[in-house]
Amino acid sequence: MTESNSRSEPPSPNTKAEFLRGIKTSLPMTLGFIPFALVLGAQAVQKGFTVLQVPLMTGVNFAGGSEFTAISLWTSPPHLLLIVAMTFLVNSRHIIMGAAFVPFMRHLSKKQSLPLLFFMCDEAWAIGITDCQQRKSMQLSVPFYIGVAACLYGSWVIFTGIGAAVGPLIGDVEQYGFDMAFTAVFLVLLKGMWRGLSHCWPWFVSLVVAGILYHLLPGAWYVAGGTLAGILAALIWGKR
Amino acid sequence: MDPLENLFIEHMALLTIVAMGMTTYLTRIIGYLALRNRTLNPRLERVMEVVPGCVLIAVIAPVIFSGHISDILAVAITFVAMLRFSLLPTVIIAIVATGLLRHWLL
Repeated sequence: MTESNSRSEPPSPNTKAEFLRGIKTSLPMTLGFIPFALVLGAQAVQKGFTVLQVPLMTGVNFAGGSEFTAISLWTSPPHLLLIVAMTFLVNSRHIIMGAAFVPFMRHLSKKQSLPLLFFMCDEAWAIGITDCQQRKSMQLSVPFYIGVAACLYGSWVIFTGIGAAVGPLIGDVEQYGFDMAFTAVFLVLLKGMWRGLSHCWPWFVSLVVAGILYHLLPGAWYVAGGTLAGILAALIWGKR
Repeated sequence: MDPLENLFIEHMALLTIVAMGMTTYLTRIIGYLALRNRTLNPRLERVMEVVPGCVLIAVIAPVIFSGHISDILAVAITFVAMLRFSLLPTVIIAIVATGLLRHWLL
């Protein structure tokens, strides 16, 4: 560890206690994860995933929003380029999040930081930064963050797998309205991202264009078209 | 189904999953790697902040513009639930409302 950031307080030296504190902090959020994980697993199998492919996807990707998007766009065989492009767009917020994480990782080498960033989901990122702010430190507590990540990652992969395994028992989830869980999750995520109409108006460009394209074009291109329309509108008419 | 076609689908699925994982990891490290040299231009940063919202809202646009009265009502109920409640209750209300409305109105 370098001494370059001497104004910051070092994290607690007790690694095990910090790890357990991370698990304890993220436990309530983990409980909230479980129903989505089950729905995601069940929905994925309905769209043609095998049971093993579901925890594989949630394990290598670990970003719920893009996984729900991928499943809603999933076909057999899947449209690789469309799904990769949508994954990038849905997760483009990570770029800003990663940049915002840099000041809290100055005490870590690049080699240490890169594996930690694999687990930077919205929740782990938010908990990590909040914890630093509460400790009035600019140094991310690594064992604490690993505890948070282990809890979130483990529960996400395991329960999406369980959802995939028991999904067929539920039957046609659409008949029961389970597909509306997507819309509900996305609406709640959007509420969290809402920064007022003056900032978020391009969303409505995307919404309207996507709605029109959905009725005009076959397949899932309405997502790409709607998204790009919003981005273009923001680029052209956004505040300079 | 033709076994060859099945094999192709299986491989495309695995390839897509791996490509997704690599793409997501890339988004997680780009910002970290880039900020060592320079900061984002504020205008581009503002545009990037609205991108995730644009994507999510485009994904759910078909439900909102579906034209089915049961789904439109269900989205309206989900929207009100979203304003008042956290994630879990909103999802439960959305599922129950959609299931009941489809049952009654279809």
